[in-house]
Amino acid sequence: MVAALIAAAITLVVALVVIVVVFAVRNRTKTPYAGQKKKDVRSVGNVGVSSSLGAGGKHGGGGSSAPRVSSSQPASKKPADGLKSRFAAIGVLAAAIFGSLSVKLWSMQVMSSEYYAGLSAENKYTVVPTPAPRGCIYDADGVALVKNRSMLTVLADADVASDRDVVQRLSTVLGLPYNVVRQRIQDATSGAQSQRVVVSDARLRDVAFISEHADAFKGVSVETRTVREYPFGALAAHVVGYTGAVNEKNLASASNGRTIELGDSVGQAGVEYVYDDLLAGDHGQRTVIADADGNVVEVESETQPTRGSDVTLTIKAPVQYVCDRALAALIAPENGTIGTGKGCAGAVVVMDVRDGGIAALASYPTFEPGLLTGSISNEVWDTYDSDESYHPLLDRVVQGEYPAASTFKAFTGLAALKYGFAGGGRTWDCGGSWDGWHTGVEQKCWNHSGHGILDFRGGIVNSCDVVFYDIAKSFFDASVLGGNAHPTVSDTAMQDEVEKYGFGKKTGIDLPGETVGRIPTPEWKAERWRDVPAEIPWKGGDSTNMVIGQGDVLVTPLQVAVAYGAIATGKLMKPHVLKEVRNASGAVAATVEPEVVGEPDVDQANLNIVRDALRGVGTENAELVALFNQFGLDPATVACKTGTGEKAGQEDYAWFACYAPYDDPKYVVACVVEQGGGGSAVGAPLGIEVLAAALKCDAGELTEVAPVAGSTGKSQPLATSGSSGRTD
Amino acid sequence: MAQPPQIDTVRAPDRSVSDATRTRRFPSLNLPLLVVVVLLSGYGLVILYSAVQGEERFEFSKQLVGVALGVVAMIIMWRFDYRRLSEATTFLLVVNVVLILSPHIPIIGTDAGTSTYSWINVGIQVQPGEFAKLTVILLDASVVARYGGRLDDPREYCKALGIMLIPFLCIMTQPDLGTGLVYLFIGAVALVAGGARLKFLLITLLAGVVAIACVFAVDEVIKNATGDYKLLKQYQRNRLLVFLDPDIDPTGTSYNLKQAQIAIGSGGLFGQGYMQGSQHALHILPEAPTDFIFCVLAEELGFFGVMALIALYVSLVLISLRIAGAAADLFGMLIVMCAIGMWLFQILENIGMTCGLMPITGIPLPFVSYGSSFMLLNFALIGLIGSVWAHNNTSGKKGSYATTR
Repeated sequence: MVAALIAAAITLVVALVVIVVVFAVRNRTKTPYAGQKKKDVRSVGNVGVSSSLGAGGKHGGGGSSAPRVSSSQPASKKPADGLKSRFAAIGVLAAAIFGSLSVKLWSMQVMSSEYYAGLSAENKYTVVPTPAPRGCIYDADGVALVKNRSMLTVLADADVASDRDVVQRLSTVLGLPYNVVRQRIQDATSGAQSQRVVVSDARLRDVAFISEHADAFKGVSVETRTVREYPFGALAAHVVGYTGAVNEKNLASASNGRTIELGDSVGQAGVEYVYDDLLAGDHGQRTVIADADGNVVEVESETQPTRGSDVTLTIKAPVQYVCDRALAALIAPENGTIGTGKGCAGAVVVMDVRDGGIAALASYPTFEPGLLTGSISNEVWDTYDSDESYHPLLDRVVQGEYPAASTFKAFTGLAALKYGFAGGGRTWDCGGSWDGWHTGVEQKCWNHSGHGILDFRGGIVNSCDVVFYDIAKSFFDASVLGGNAHPTVSDTAMQDEVEKYGFGKKTGIDLPGETVGRIPTPEWKAERWRDVPAEIPWKGGDSTNMVIGQGDVLVTPLQVAVAYGAIATGKLMKPHVLKEVRNASGAVAATVEPEVVGEPDVDQANLNIVRDALRGVGTENAELVALFNQFGLDPATVACKTGTGEKAGQEDYAWFACYAPYDDPKYVVACVVEQGGGGSAVGAPLGIEVLAAALKCDAGELTEVAPVAGSTGKSQPLATSGSSGRTD
Repeated sequence: MAQPPQIDTVRAPDRSVSDATRTRRFPSLNLPLLVVVVLLSGYGLVILYSAVQGEERFEFSKQLVGVALGVVAMIIMWRFDYRRLSEATTFLLVVNVVLILSPHIPIIGTDAGTSTYSWINVGIQVQPGEFAKLTVILLDASVVARYGGRLDDPREYCKALGIMLIPFLCIMTQPDLGTGLVYLFIGAVALVAGGARLKFLLITLLAGVVAIACVFAVDEVIKNATGDYKLLKQYQRNRLLVFLDPDIDPTGTSYNLKQAQIAIGSGGLFGQGYMQGSQHALHILPEAPTDFIFCVLAEELGFFGVMALIALYVSLVLISLRIAGAAADLFGMLIVMCAIGMWLFQILENIGMTCGLMPITGIPLPFVSYGSSFMLLNFALIGLIGSVWAHNNTSGKKGSYATTR
């Protein structure tokens, strides 16, 4: 601004100086016509002119011109002669105007032309990104879980909205109301220059009609676009996730080198979210010349989009299908209404203990990714995000935190074995209740009539609470917490041991939103109750709660699966769903290597005691033996543990965790049914069915995969069992 | 700024200026003037042809009709003896007032979809305000010519000034500030060239500045009283503000200015090529065929194309100045000077506004901008100047050039 003013001022000054100089020179000749006279003089030298004049004179023209010369000879009589200075003034004005304009134009067109040319090019060219097809998602055996589908899309230029005739024709052909068509064409959310989608999945017949009558549909075009297709509906929905319109969060978290354009589909959950960079591909670019109204006049250059990489998961679709189907059949057998079966929600996870690959991961209620693709309608959102529907979008395997209940006893038992508080022939007498703290308030075993005399193995097989209460008391008494002046164990000896199996930490699975659960410690408790000093001290009751996986203990089903995997193999694996990545040309670009997170330093003998006890759970409980037989499994080849979590005011949470084969573990299964009831009654049938399916699939005997329906969002009040107590 | 080589005509070396460019066969013709006009209007048509491409509101053929009518008008004016009008001041004043106010007449007057009443519809739409430039020139010349080159009496000066202000006041009822400023400038040139005392001129200039300041001040008072500006429209205010600070509002008013400057600047030395200007072709340039036609020229033909146009204008002005100098009477000289003044002002304002030297006002570029009315007027003015040339030494006798056949 200032520079421009200075430039303009200098321009004017220079122009004026030049003009003044010119006129000073002219004035010296004392006539404003000096220049003109010079020209006359110059023309004198033009021989051709003078000779032709001479010739003209001979022809008689000179005769008439001669008197004219004499009449005009007294030049001083001209009115102009009296106003020479005024002529000069007008001359100066003209010179100033033309001079300043010329200088200004020189500065713009010659001195700064590059600057303006740049701005002009910016005006001229618009780069419009063309979307790249996302990569597909396959299961471990190459079954496509997520595909792309070609879709005939009818597009219209923005200015078609103002063309009544074309809009009317579109409305008639496509069978849409006039206003809807116009509204869609006016919708600029996909960018001002881009064409507007009138119908995204048009019938071939309509498209053919439009193509044949191109004259009548000026500005309308048909394009083949790709959309996400889910051949099996809600199958593995929580694993694959869904895509949606880009939001601010996506833009903020986008990695370097990943360009996200307005109108792009971006992974919002599951694998689509985690491996968005791989799946997304690279945009094509069309450099177009667009006019002031945003209409594309000419396509200057175009680069084709690069299709995203294909992703192969560790998921085995048949096993996944069994999981999804079994959960739905258990929880909402009638019309998909939650409450007609057992429990209100559930989660199952199957992991390959050898490499941490997740073979199946199911959470119920579930959702259909296809309904969430693109912009989510309010109706769908209400269905999927309400208490009535029990939040289908929540992936309960990695995000659900539950009391671990008796599944925890395997790990607290290992701690007890390590510190010698169990094993070595030590026995307990369970009378159905326990009052080790001598408070007069007895803590009950789940079996109120008592288990009688049990050793450690019997404690696990029968899941006897009294045995573990006493173990907890041993830990408590041996530490400072129990007032021991010469502590033999630390305050958190039990917690430390449990945490070696991955509890209280993220497992590191490649799915978003994983939660850590909670292993309570005195430190944690002090922080939790810092506003209520009376609750701060760690009490014996906290230990006895924790030892049976109750109280403040929270775990995710995935943590339980990984931890049981560690019991099976001695190694804590990092669970993962990605198996390998194939680039657009089909070559394997990357393969996920198994990752061992840790190897709990545990005495092999102790581990064998627990493994044997877990096998005993299956072989020595008649109820479970029947179930194993039902699903064609030998109980002796399985190690398992049931669990029944208690939550005040709710039905029990049914747990079941198992791995098989016992001698050469392959799969670990963990499942939980929220408010489903007892672990052996509700959890075990689900877990065993899934385990059997996984082993069958491995043997190649199970290949059935079929579409799975998403949650209906409907529910009815849960049936109550009358709180009969735990039935581990 | 060389004279076009076409001014190579039969000249008498030792005769007076008036004879220097007279053709042998048609002594009343001024060949240089004609050549410049032909080149100028031809060049203008070439530019306009490109400018109307893709503009549905404008038709090139209409402009051709304007040129054709203009040529007829020029011939008529050329043959018409301007001196007959030298005493007809009152008549000219009446004609002016009627012309300028005619858009207010209910049946024929129209605002043509805009908010200003500048058009009348007599079968075709014409802008009487444009034609009135001719009569304003004649009026101003005849008023000042009465004083014989010396305007020393304050009362007489005020009287002349008052008469010359009437057309301006009339045009402001439309309102059309751009054309009004042209009228004022014509008057100023008439006074300067007509020999008004320098002191008077300076006082008038000062009074003008004070008057403008008053308009702004009163407007501010009105705004405080009624909450709205009444005297100056908001868009006029914006144009002035944008002129002072072009970065004020890049999408609104200054958008036009910015795009105009991009068009000019991107032309460079040789331009983007005829019919190749992207700013214009993509309709980024506003009002390309009318007010911003200069940008089309600058963008497509570059600095050389622009200089060619300016050279033609300079030639026109120089030739006209020479004719003024050779005029037989003060009236004739003032007519030519006023015409020069009008062109100068329109050129300055039109080109100046596009390159940021002047505030934006809708004033067409002579011989180039779209508009039959203005084209017709320009040719009529050329005809008038030709008339001054033709009658500068023929004692009002047509027979003088009739003898040459």
